[in-house]
Amino acid sequence: MKPKEYLKDHIVTYLVRSCCVLAAIIFLLAFKAQSSLIFVLCFIALISFLVTDIYEYRRKKDFYNKLVLSLKELDKKYLLPAMLEEPSFYEGRLLCDILSECDKSMLENVSDYKRQSKEFREYIEMWVHEAKLPVASLTLMSKNAGDNNEKMSRELKRIDDYIENVLYYARSESPMKDYIIKETSIKKAFNACAMKNRETLQHTGASIQTEGLDAQVMTDAKWLEFIFGQLISNSIKYADDKRPLVIRVSADKSGTDTILKFKDNGIGIAAADLPYIFNKSYTGRNGRKDAKSTGMGLYIVSSLLERLGHKISVSSEEGKYTEFTIIFTENNYYSELRQ
Amino acid sequence: MQKKIFIIEDDKTLCNELSILLEKQGYLTEKPKDFETLPNQMLSSDADLFLLDITLPGQNGEFLLRDFRSRRDTPVIMLTSRTEELDEVLSMSYGADDYITKPYNPTLLLLRISAVLKRSSKGTSASHTYRGVEVSTLKGSLLLNGREEVLTKNEMIIFNLLFEKQGEIVSRDELMTVLWDNDEFLNDNALSVNISRLRSKLAELGLPDAIETRKKQGYVLK
Repeated sequence: MKPKEYLKDHIVTYLVRSCCVLAAIIFLLAFKAQSSLIFVLCFIALISFLVTDIYEYRRKKDFYNKLVLSLKELDKKYLLPAMLEEPSFYEGRLLCDILSECDKSMLENVSDYKRQSKEFREYIEMWVHEAKLPVASLTLMSKNAGDNNEKMSRELKRIDDYIENVLYYARSESPMKDYIIKETSIKKAFNACAMKNRETLQHTGASIQTEGLDAQVMTDAKWLEFIFGQLISNSIKYADDKRPLVIRVSADKSGTDTILKFKDNGIGIAAADLPYIFNKSYTGRNGRKDAKSTGMGLYIVSSLLERLGHKISVSSEEGKYTEFTIIFTENNYYSELRQ
Repeated sequence: MQKKIFIIEDDKTLCNELSILLEKQGYLTEKPKDFETLPNQMLSSDADLFLLDITLPGQNGEFLLRDFRSRRDTPVIMLTSRTEELDEVLSMSYGADDYITKPYNPTLLLLRISAVLKRSSKGTSASHTYRGVEVSTLKGSLLLNGREEVLTKNEMIIFNLLFEKQGEIVSRDELMTVLWDNDEFLNDNALSVNISRLRSKLAELGLPDAIETRKKQGYVLK
């Protein structure tokens, strides 16, 4: 609370008071009162005004200053009503009541949305589970029919990938903690994912080189597998027709961190697009050339990694390569637990 | 002797396709009569392996597995369409022998089944001589009359699979699945190169015609 602003705000009060005092003086002068009497009366009036104003100002200043300070320091501003101390003056109490009423209504609203989003999440999980059954049946039927139909199994794989995307998008957006962080072998996750994509990779004539993947990191294995799947499918999608695709995956220890690199020799990403590729729905120049791009894959990857507490970055040279780097930080809490 | 596999899967279509797939591979199959008395059916079954779905009507496959495991140690492979790490961790800690997510690659599924069965019936391993050639998987070499041909890891994997199915056609798809399952990410060309190298090593041992190519089908070890 600034004194100047406070005074400005009360300008009407002061004007009315001055007018009254002036009127009283004129009145007293008209009745020929002694000037010393006028002087004393004016003095008493002034004192009473000053005392009441200072008292009022201080009372409010304490309350509002505390309020402003709490608001500034709060990381989640909406928690303010919980920090309020009921003040001694009426307007303040009114404000407190109003704020806590608002807060209550907002909390109800938020919990409604939370419930809705949770129900939606559960429905997606169930839907994904159901949708996978016919895909599994079709995969077996195609095999049982005896025609080793690669085209069919590739299309089935595509359906399965789209289904997974929905699931992981829902997971990445949900506030629920539904992952398990445990010691995970990068190799196991990558190999499971490579195996899933084997037919597509073989069809494109890609070769895969791995190095140092024996490293163990603290992460959720299934999420990591999905992330690898996205990176592989991007590499295939943006492969350069002029040369066979080579994917190089390597892991390295750096202090307590594990640095995972995923590099391909595809068409690369334009420098202008590079800073935005993890943004939601961003397709960039490569994406616009390819109608299948939704701009969601890398967004989901980066938000999953963020939730797991890992970092991802990208470097690329157009026409040469794209390299993703994921940093797994050794979590002190977990490493202590293991000892 | 034919091995019997008990398929516990509530989706009827999927269950039927699974049993067709397995029967084509020479396994006997059994399906649950109903899901209420499943624990008893499992205990009284003479199957050599169980395929168990996690989400079943009215019960949870993980708890079923835990109860079953406390009484019998017949191998169990969990099948699931749920992709949560928790399910896998739980299943493995309750004693599952393997865990496969739907939609599974059929070749991989068969491979895992035969691997689990082989593990559970250890000691019955077939003779390790192929037409007089001593096969040493440990040393990764073939031996004939004091002459030794050292095989690379890939060549050994290929030879072992052909040897296991001696006389039957092994498709390139099967070979690839096994190689990739062993973390060897070969492409088509590399597979051809490995097979021709394996052929010439067998020829050195006096078996030039051991691996026969069946056009568009695969390879047969004679």
